[in-house]
Amino acid sequence: MKQIPSFLGLMAILAVCIAQTSCQSKEEIFRQQYVVEGMMQYEKHCENCHQKDGSGLKDLYPPLAKTDLWKRLNANQIACIIKNGQKEAILVNQKPYQNYMPGNAKLEALDVAEIITYLRDKWGNDPRIFPLDSARLALKNCP
Amino acid sequence: MLLAACQEKKTLPILGNKETIIKQGKADTLYQQIPAFQFLNQDSSWVSDRDYAGKIYVADFFFTSCPTICPKMKTQMLRLYERYANENQLALLSFSIDPDFDQPHVLKAYADRLHIKSPKWNLVTGAKAKIYELGQKSFMVTAQEDKNEAGGFVHSGAFILVDKQKHVRGIYDGTKEQEVNHLIEDIELLLKEK
Ligand code: HEC
Repeated sequence: MKQIPSFLGLMAILAVCIAQTSCQSKEEIFRQQYVVEGMMQYEKHCENCHQKDGSGLKDLYPPLAKTDLWKRLNANQIACIIKNGQKEAILVNQKPYQNYMPGNAKLEALDVAEIITYLRDKWGNDPRIFPLDSARLALKNCP
Repeated sequence: MLLAACQEKKTLPILGNKETIIKQGKADTLYQQIPAFQFLNQDSSWVSDRDYAGKIYVADFFFTSCPTICPKMKTQMLRLYERYANENQLALLSFSIDPDFDQPHVLKAYADRLHIKSPKWNLVTGAKAKIYELGQKSFMVTAQEDKNEAGGFVHSGAFILVDKQKHVRGIYDGTKEQEVNHLIEDIELLLKEK
């Protein structure tokens, strides 16, 4: 299941590279692959609540796009929210939310790394990869 | 011929069991109807089938702590809520399939966070067996407990369109925007029926 999309993703990126002749660095291709994979994980596990465009749903589910999330939390903390869920009251863009986000016990460190790389790329204005090792470490140290 | 066929108005089928009876020497078809029901809504008020007499409504089955398809369904239901805010002939009705947890005050908090109001959109709770029976027999959807499912229940993401005579006229996948577009077209047709 998992291999096919990643292969397709890689092919798509390769195609773009070849078309541009000057190819991106190896690291950038690797990051792009994380972004593509992360997007698919997001659609599967997050989009139903936070919406495709990250706008959230009224006062029920907070937005992930255009928020102060990245100022309040670092990637390690976000990794733990993804894995373990959350139910404390939080303030997002000064607006209070208190609702239950279920954890995603089945997600592996790699999935979490890809999702965070996607979130950073899409809404965090942050084109850095969140590497697998960092995700592993973060998840090991969750409160 | 062709033109006439094109201009013929589309009507929606009536779904469910039907029964042919002989009335005063003439055959007549009786269609399945939504039976009487009574449940508590998010304002702890009674809501019954009588509140929907002469109304078109869209029903669904959900629970507030549902992690999977309900948020998608609620996103789509909200589209209907906003689109038909001023259309008094149309109402929305969501049955909780986790009524033990979804007490009226839980439904109230949920409704407030969604910015929705009764009676336009009633979220209702009551005896679990009654809700499941109504879902399965009358609204023709799956709704039951299942410890193996995320959240503990299996249920379909169906939206059920009911006409003013309590007949089910369509069942749509409420998790898909496209399907709900189709539902909207069908609501428009029903609004034109007398
Ligand atoms: C069932 C709905 C649901 C799903 C699915 C869901 N979330 Fe959430 N998410 C929430 C809710 C509700 C909150 C707010 C929780 C609270 O009140 O503490 C939240 C909060 C968050 C936050 C913290 C927001 C902030 O600004 O502090 C992040 C980050 C987040 N979710 C990311 C994700 C990601 C990534 C996924 C997919 C892996 C996901 N969520 C899946 C409902 C959901």
